[in-house]
Amino acid sequence: MPEATLLLQFLVTGAGTGCVYGLVAIGFCVIYNASGIVNFAQGSFVMLGGVVTYSLWHALHLPLAVAALGAIIVSVALGVLTDLLVVRPLWHRRATMFVMILATLAVQIVVERLTLIVVGDAPMSLPPILSRGPIHLGPIVLDTQVAFIFAVSLLLVAGLRLFFTRTATGRAMRACSIDRDAAALLGIPVSRLVAVGFALSAAIGAIAGILVTPTQYTAYNLGVPFAISGFIAAILGGFGNPFGAFLGGLMLGITQSLATVAFGAGTRNVFSLAVLLIFLLLRPQGLLGTAKT
Amino acid sequence: MTALLELQGLHACYGQVEALHGVDLSVGAGEMVAVLGPNGAGKSTLLRAVMGQVATAGSIRFEGASVAYAPTHRRAALGMVMVPEGRGIFGPMTVDENLSLGGWTQRGCVAAQRGRVLDLFPRLRERLGQLAGSLSGGEQQMLAIGRAMMMQPRLLMLDEPSLGLAPRLAAAILEALGELNRNGLGILLVEQRAPLALRLARRAYVLRLGNVVAQTQPGETLTQDQLGRLYLA
Repeated sequence: MPEATLLLQFLVTGAGTGCVYGLVAIGFCVIYNASGIVNFAQGSFVMLGGVVTYSLWHALHLPLAVAALGAIIVSVALGVLTDLLVVRPLWHRRATMFVMILATLAVQIVVERLTLIVVGDAPMSLPPILSRGPIHLGPIVLDTQVAFIFAVSLLLVAGLRLFFTRTATGRAMRACSIDRDAAALLGIPVSRLVAVGFALSAAIGAIAGILVTPTQYTAYNLGVPFAISGFIAAILGGFGNPFGAFLGGLMLGITQSLATVAFGAGTRNVFSLAVLLIFLLLRPQGLLGTAKT
Repeated sequence: MTALLELQGLHACYGQVEALHGVDLSVGAGEMVAVLGPNGAGKSTLLRAVMGQVATAGSIRFEGASVAYAPTHRRAALGMVMVPEGRGIFGPMTVDENLSLGGWTQRGCVAAQRGRVLDLFPRLRERLGQLAGSLSGGEQQMLAIGRAMMMQPRLLMLDEPSLGLAPRLAAAILEALGELNRNGLGILLVEQRAPLALRLARRAYVLRLGNVVAQTQPGETLTQDQLGRLYLA
């Protein structure tokens, strides 16, 4: 049955994109948990991941792995600077969440425009990180880059799980997400953990950007679309739950892929937003979230 | 000898509203001091002010050194430990995780301290793997105090530890505090149930509308009559 095989093929491809959305969504959750802020500059980490890797690889002729590492470092630096220069001063002035969220959106725009000035508006792409032929799983063809995305995403999710349950810092970050005042009373330096949260989500965002670039392309203005998909995925998963967010990403990727095959590529955003609306109406707490009263 | 905690002319504000109007208070080493007063007197605000969780003016000295400008977590690391109103338990985390978070400032000697805490509250030993949110009110209070003890406090401050507990449980909790105090721990206890607190504390301050309106000397007790007048006047 070629139709069934084709469907399966689209499911696999969709899940690959979904992993990337899931990683972006995890980035939203990590910062939200540590600080209560929805960081709309998340997309700029994703964009920088791809663009900086490309620039280091293309212009400086660095090996791909080194270029990728460089891009992660640049994104982490941007994340920590966003916290130190934008979020923390506002925090000390007891700014409202609305102000903080707008400030992160401003960071997104500034980074996007600076990138445009520095590298221009040409779309750029990367060669596959593993250069070998596609993997054949029975009738399904698994692109190596998609397989690589699966592997790295799952490793990252497992690593994060260990970090949040087994390490003192990870547990303290969870404690902050439950009750920041009570955490501070235990001697936990809440603002330092917010900085760790920004660094961690910037790294995850950059990795997502690096992973996705070989399968499509990247450009200075690709941060926002990824941020929107990641944001939707985070809501689907139950905002604040990193593992729910990853599942939300998978769900969103598969939905978009199926919409593309059934109704054409133009409808994928229609279906993304439709899924979001359905969730907001029927299950506003998301897949793994707990209802807020 | 320097006092463990010394407050002089302490003011505290929530935005434009001043909730404490110049409070003087001290807790000596190894002393248990009670703060009494009706609802809205500023008792909780007093503890929040000592920990730097509200904007303050005035002097806050801990073991002789000013901490008025230190952030909350640094005060906690010095050994100023507060169990907040509502206990501040991390409900979605296990009892064990809650306890180990209490060891954040004391990394290195967590295991030994954990043993002492579980000896003080054996009930917690049976519940280590359980989610803290699923504990009964009394057990949650034990966990809150146990978690605070993980920090090896020099001064333990408690905001209404008996709140919402059956009288017998409340008495058991206060009994445990009495034992900690006999072992030399300085305690500042905020309580609405004055008789319970007065049975244990060496001295008491009575707070009303953000001012200290009365304080007792060691050995001196307040009669029901005096108390009633202080609360209602």
